[in-house]
Amino acid sequence: MTTPPGGPLAVGIVGTGGIAGAHGPGWVEAGASLHAHSLDGAEAFAETFGATVHPDLDSLLAAVDVVDVCTPTPVHAEIVHRALDAGCHVICEKPLTRSLEDARAVVEHAERAGRLLFPAHVVRYFPQYAAAKAGIDAGRIGTPAVLRYERTGQFPRMPWFADQEASGGIVMDQMIHDIDQAIWVAGPVASVHAREHVAASQPEVRTAHVVLTHTGGAISHCRGFWGPAGTAFRYAFSLAGDAGRLEYDSAQDSAVTWDAVARGGAETGGSLLPDISGMRSPYAEEILDAAAAIRTGRAPRVSARDGLVAVEVSLAALESLATGRSIPC
Amino acid sequence: MLKIALLSCAHTHAAAYAGILAARGDVDLVVADPDGFGDVPAERVVGSYQEAWDAFDGGPDAVIVTSANADHKELVLEAARRGVAVLCEKPLATTVADAEEMVAACREAGVVLMTAFPVHFSPAVETLRSAVRDGALGEIVGLTGTNNGKLPEGRDWFTDVSLSGGGCLVDHTVHVAQILDAAFGEPTDVRAVANRILSASRAGEGAETGGFVTLTYPSGVVATIDCSWSMPDDGPTWGGLTLQALGTGGQLTVDAFADHVGGPGQWLPYGADLDALLLEAFLDAVRTGRTQEPSGEAGLRTVRIVAAAQRSVATGEAVALADV
Repeated sequence: MTTPPGGPLAVGIVGTGGIAGAHGPGWVEAGASLHAHSLDGAEAFAETFGATVHPDLDSLLAAVDVVDVCTPTPVHAEIVHRALDAGCHVICEKPLTRSLEDARAVVEHAERAGRLLFPAHVVRYFPQYAAAKAGIDAGRIGTPAVLRYERTGQFPRMPWFADQEASGGIVMDQMIHDIDQAIWVAGPVASVHAREHVAASQPEVRTAHVVLTHTGGAISHCRGFWGPAGTAFRYAFSLAGDAGRLEYDSAQDSAVTWDAVARGGAETGGSLLPDISGMRSPYAEEILDAAAAIRTGRAPRVSARDGLVAVEVSLAALESLATGRSIPC
Repeated sequence: MLKIALLSCAHTHAAAYAGILAARGDVDLVVADPDGFGDVPAERVVGSYQEAWDAFDGGPDAVIVTSANADHKELVLEAARRGVAVLCEKPLATTVADAEEMVAACREAGVVLMTAFPVHFSPAVETLRSAVRDGALGEIVGLTGTNNGKLPEGRDWFTDVSLSGGGCLVDHTVHVAQILDAAFGEPTDVRAVANRILSASRAGEGAETGGFVTLTYPSGVVATIDCSWSMPDDGPTWGGLTLQALGTGGQLTVDAFADHVGGPGQWLPYGADLDALLLEAFLDAVRTGRTQEPSGEAGLRTVRIVAAAQRSVATGEAVALADV
């Protein structure tokens, strides 16, 4: 509550793990004055981005206008509620929450409080997906009919990711991006069915297939994969409509290609997050959009309700995994 | 010389098969074109099936059935009655009962029955099968297959469900399903969705033009097939077939029709002629009397998957293959 009009936003990062490091440069670019609180690693984050470290959440909330929730999923809801109670706008890493009840509660809380709640669905800011969406809005494929999305990464090292109860597993953590994309392009979902298979010999390695039937008639297939150590991050889509098809594959359509000799001994290790070195940072775009929405009151590209719907459809997919049945949304 | 009758010009593959057989030099070919399509080049074209059966002294050694799907059954049963080897276009039949009857008739008659899955002979697909066999991908957890194409032109029966048995679920599921069948055996259940947004004005009533078929195997391995006619009419080639396998030992993606020289608006394929490899295998089976893969049984198993997929679209739930 310290920001004078037109002055820098005072932003508190809560949880300074991997995704906070991706958000940091965007806040720096937005000219924010940064604060941080974390169970672990706040000092390192503060050193990198020039933040003030707070020993507890209350002290951080008293110092900021905006809270960026970068904690593990299970504590998103509690922190969002406390931030809203403190009068803050909130950026919240996806998934918004682990349960539908919590997602509804935080969205309604933000609406009552008149504060922005921005779910960080960063894929909407990846230029490939933004270009496809703009092309589809301009009629390039006609009516969307059959959509395929793929997302591949190395299995997460942090144990809470693989804990289905905590993270929602591969569907809520990884595939929720593509579920959100499918809904962005083809509209609301009428029903969901899902299958997942976990390798018996190496349970971190797993795949999920989720098929959405949209109320407008389109169908979408989302395929997630947590691969073995060394798996490169990869994302791809093929979007077919009655007047054309749009396709992208991060493994093929690259502006920069090093051959094996040029790459030399460089480590070609796997990753949980995509390599964004060749593009305008989608994380920075996302943070700047949220910052502009806070400053001007205009709607950002992704709304709290969008985050709620992504949680609802992802949870329907989990229910389908558990029951084997198709789940209406 | 092998005496071969190509029965019907309804299927778009008929012209390719006729051209390959005519060029071989070891085949005496007669083509039956009872529907009068008139666009299959051959030296000897006759106007009825009866004329084709009667075209050779002692009858043909083998027949190739390239009729509309619903007409496969009578032609295959006739071949079985005459003791003549058959290569039948895919899908083998439009119902499981028909496919079972055809397979049983050929088995009882001791007649070779093969199903025309040219992609079975793709070197890329063989690479995938051998990777699965040899464990090169470790433990496989899942696969995604695509067989997308243009809606066939000039052959309206493809979307006349009384002749085709259905839309793209029938036409395009079976190719990938057969590759998966050869690598993993039969799935336990099938879940499918379909719609008709693509080419909706051209497709016959009730024929789906987009679809996903998700198969679950006894091991839990999950595979989804995109069988949609989603190659735009102005696309550079007819379509293609891809299959991606994911395992604890990494990923393998094969693209059976990737081999081409490109350029703006250009697509010059140079890959192996899969139709020619299929016919070579069939003619070998005719000579030896020993059926090769893809067999009639393989055709039957993929028809069962299609039937399960159709039932799943109707019910909105997964269908156990054992119930089909």
